[in-house]
Amino acid sequence: MEERSRIVLLAAAVRLAIAPFFMHAGDVGTIYESSIMTLKGLNVYDFVYAKTMQMQNATGLPVFFEGYAYHPLLIYFFAPFYWLFSLIAGPSPVMIDGHYPSLPVLVYPWTPLLLLMLKIPIILADLLVVYLLARVDMGKAEIYAFCPYVIFISTVWGMFDSLVGLFLLASYLMSSRNNFLSGLFYGLSLLKLYTVVLLPLYVVRLFRRRRALVEFLAGLAVTLLPVAYYLIVSPLSIWNVLVTFQGTRIMGGVNLYNFIWIVQDLIFDLAVSMVPTVLLLVALYYLISRFGRKAPLLESILVIMFAYFLFGKVINEQFLVSIFPLILLCRECDHRLWVAPFVFVFLRSPFYYFMLPILWTSPIFYGYYLQADEVWRQLQAAGYLQIPMYAVGIAFSLLIFWNLLRLVDATRGGVSSIPGVTEPTGHRAYDHVLKRARGVWENSITNRP
Amino acid sequence: MDKTPHYPPEKPLSQLCLSVQERRIGLKLKNRLTLFFAVYIIALSFVPFLHDTLIAQGRWLGYGTGAYQYQNQHYFVLFNDPYDGSSKPHIHVNPDFAPAARISLLEFSDWTSWVNDHNLFNEFNVAMRADPRTLDVTYALPEVVIHKYVEVSSESVKVTLQSEKEFSAHLEMWRWVMTSINGISAKDTTKPLAIPPTTLVEFTFEDERLQSLGRGRIVMSAMPAQVKIWPHEKGFNKITIDFVNSMMSFTVSGSMEEVGAPSQPWSYALLPYVMPIVAITVVALYLLVGKYGRTLKNRIASRSS
Repeated sequence: MEERSRIVLLAAAVRLAIAPFFMHAGDVGTIYESSIMTLKGLNVYDFVYAKTMQMQNATGLPVFFEGYAYHPLLIYFFAPFYWLFSLIAGPSPVMIDGHYPSLPVLVYPWTPLLLLMLKIPIILADLLVVYLLARVDMGKAEIYAFCPYVIFISTVWGMFDSLVGLFLLASYLMSSRNNFLSGLFYGLSLLKLYTVVLLPLYVVRLFRRRRALVEFLAGLAVTLLPVAYYLIVSPLSIWNVLVTFQGTRIMGGVNLYNFIWIVQDLIFDLAVSMVPTVLLLVALYYLISRFGRKAPLLESILVIMFAYFLFGKVINEQFLVSIFPLILLCRECDHRLWVAPFVFVFLRSPFYYFMLPILWTSPIFYGYYLQADEVWRQLQAAGYLQIPMYAVGIAFSLLIFWNLLRLVDATRGGVSSIPGVTEPTGHRAYDHVLKRARGVWENSITNRP
Repeated sequence: MDKTPHYPPEKPLSQLCLSVQERRIGLKLKNRLTLFFAVYIIALSFVPFLHDTLIAQGRWLGYGTGAYQYQNQHYFVLFNDPYDGSSKPHIHVNPDFAPAARISLLEFSDWTSWVNDHNLFNEFNVAMRADPRTLDVTYALPEVVIHKYVEVSSESVKVTLQSEKEFSAHLEMWRWVMTSINGISAKDTTKPLAIPPTTLVEFTFEDERLQSLGRGRIVMSAMPAQVKIWPHEKGFNKITIDFVNSMMSFTVSGSMEEVGAPSQPWSYALLPYVMPIVAITVVALYLLVGKYGRTLKNRIASRSS
């Protein structure tokens, strides 16, 4: 068997074996709930907006219901698989509630099948990334295929950042070949909205090439049609969910800002959360104007995303998956960055939380869950977990900063980051990787039957 | 289709190598950025401390999914979000000899309280509003609207239930556990006991961590219909109060007195002081590894070559 196919199959086997038995109840529950609503023809944004209004009315605070707050296209990746599931299992509910702070009720024997079906798009995205990477470098493909962090986020958690990663990778690979497809894939990478920071980069790079820019924007515009539709039919809801919610979130996550979680004052927290946003805008302006046109696209994308990881106010544990394939392609970046967010996962959520589909099969296991959770809550209430979370958050930010400096150094055509060791880390050093990537990609396009 | 590659054409190696001056500028920029980022991290780590000392004291603050808290020199009061029936409110006392410790004094529970036979948590629609001094929680049903006001002063915490109409209420207040209530110890009774009607309930409790003895009192604005105390394994864990009125307030106060030699316990309230230490430590480690790690690596590399 061809080596490439072997890695893809092995990666698939690992993921398929894990997928049915684990989940993050809140996030998988959101996808499940939204898939049902979509198939019923209901408006998910209206649902989330109504819940938010209810919460704000009850509390008198600018709090938001954390439901479906993604690009409208996202749900169409999952709804077909839920539809297939419902053909087998019927329309009865399988997962009831599960939004924090409540725990879900799971119905057996259908829960494992539901989890498998809802994770198929994520697994397919992972496999496609492995396949594309394998065409460039087998070692990189192996790292992605068997990286515990990637497997955990995609298959255990059930988070779909690998879809973002796939589309970002595809957008990059297509950038030298087909601007329309590059724009289309970039638009699809906006399934999670944080890649929006890359738009100025793409525009600046293509600015003096009118036709290329128009093609790119046309591709992007296609993916934005559903957004336009919702802006017409329910403007308040989609604006509240995508812009107000995302724009007024309290900072935190795997970054240096998670100290704010101990400051229990929402209004103050929101005000302080503006600080990194201002710095992000300054950093983006500086980096795009300085490196946007000159540096290679791969490095430019990573520089911008790293700046976002430093100054973006919310960096969740799974976000790194979206740029992990590009990090693997980049010679200057250290792919071991994944260790910090992976550790953080287990500081923020107890490991047994991801095992609910197993623990909910028996009242005995459920009892163990409650006992373990009691201990976990005591640790949380005492503040013991906040300290390592903050330390890991800062460490991750510093590692990102270190990688950013290396990239900036390299794209300046400058000296190596290691004093005393001078090497041509400019375009020459990594262009062979890019060329190989592009060459292989172009071959794969032209060799298609 | 435009097939021009986007990346710039390769330059000769000679052009890639920078002049000494350019390298210096690069290193200077890198050092400045590193300095800025280190200072940025450390400066931000002081935010919780500054908030705690300058802003958080003596006002109601909302957070999370809709909980509110109030902190002053003597009391820490938590009023849980509308999705949780406990801590409505939960009053803690800050001992003078250990100000960062929050010792549970009394917890009002909506889970186990009823107005006109309707459960406060499960059956009423709740809306919370706060100004710096008063938390106003509205419990609404078509037949009755009750306001629960919580006001905190340096001496006490006043919880008032008020409605335009008269209502009958059964309220439960919890503490694990009270060693005595109005002079009655748990040894005196094994069953729930209705104490003589009174507007004053005084209780004592112990705190093992602080090795100290606590005292609490509840002063009611009107005579209740019934006050019952509920024994548990090591003391009383609950006081239930039934009344019929259009307004009733409970003024809760408490204090702790040092008995043994307490060890200063760890508390969540100490986190604002710890965060800068964490930030400085991690940043220092980064700088040390950045400076000496490379030197060490270079030495090893030069030896092996």
